Amino acid sequence: MEILAEGYNAFETDKSPSGVVKYLDKPQDVIKLIQSGKLKEHILLVRGGTTTFLTPALSMGAIGVITMSGAPESHLGILSREFQMPCVMTAYLTTSDSRYEVGNVDEKHFREIAETLDGRTVRLDCTDSTVGRVIEA
Amino acid sequence: MSMPVLGKSDYRVLNVVTLKKMATTPVLAEATGLSTDQVEAALSALADSGLVLTAAGSAFPGDGADAALAASAAEHYAEVREDAGVIALVDRFEDINSQLLITMSAWQQVDVGGHKVANDHTDAGYDDKIITRIDRLVQRLGPLLAALTAFDQHFAGYRERFDAALAGIDEGRHELVSSPTQDSVHTVWFEFHEDLLRTMGRERKE
Repeated sequence: MEILAEGYNAFETDKSPSGVVKYLDKPQDVIKLIQSGKLKEHILLVRGGTTTFLTPALSMGAIGVITMSGAPESHLGILSREFQMPCVMTAYLTTSDSRYEVGNVDEKHFREIAETLDGRTVRLDCTDSTVGRVIEA
Repeated sequence: MSMPVLGKSDYRVLNVVTLKKMATTPVLAEATGLSTDQVEAALSALADSGLVLTAAGSAFPGDGADAALAASAAEHYAEVREDAGVIALVDRFEDINSQLLITMSAWQQVDVGGHKVANDHTDAGYDDKIITRIDRLVQRLGPLLAALTAFDQHFAGYRERFDAALAGIDEGRHELVSSPTQDSVHTVWFEFHEDLLRTMGRERKE
């Protein structure tokens, strides 16, 4: 059971969803995923906590989200608690030293996480009060 | 390729589709003040240009929706973007927004011995304090909403929606604080924030 990534836990929950990570880069990716009918098979990976285009996915029953930036107090953090949908925020790879810093947007950082996690089958562990974990399933 | 500037009705419809991320015709009519026929006509034209997609009975923003809105807003709101009074109020908004996000989180979770746990809403005193804080933050938007309304009447709709949400909360409908499936303070605030950024041609801060 390998921990692939860790980040802030948006809220403590025993829910531990698993699925194939799907990186969503733009609003149309979300719409395509909804249209595919496979929304609930995926853990959604997005770049920011202020990513606003996830809203339809959340209201249609997304099972879990990983963000690469943003805090639990962000818009997405607030929504994840409302929907009681586990959410690991500002996730970093446990195999990498690269960390997100506010205001320092390094494309390499985001690309590395997206390339590493996209397509992997994972489970989210959000039982800790502060740390959320992405575990290889 | 330069983006065509949308007419006011098409802009209003596409703007609301993009703010709500998905919307039915009745919702769009209510939000824009247009008739359902006018909304249908706008959606049809926007769909022909690929700016909206329809699925499951709702309209979604299509490829290019953001770019078309940005290009149109630059033209429609050129004057407001130059207004020193509005600019000063918008500059102050970021701080108010940060406080609102923290306050919303405090509504959802309480700090117990350094741990965040779900607010079970059994402490009426705590909840009342948060509601008072939310009410004050909404009131602090008043001057900005008024200034924007002087340029575009549609901003008056946010004042009405905030007032309706706050009145509902006063009546004990506490889901109107942050529920994403209702016209809660958080829902209205979030849409206003997006609309404000688009109007002013600014980027969202992380």
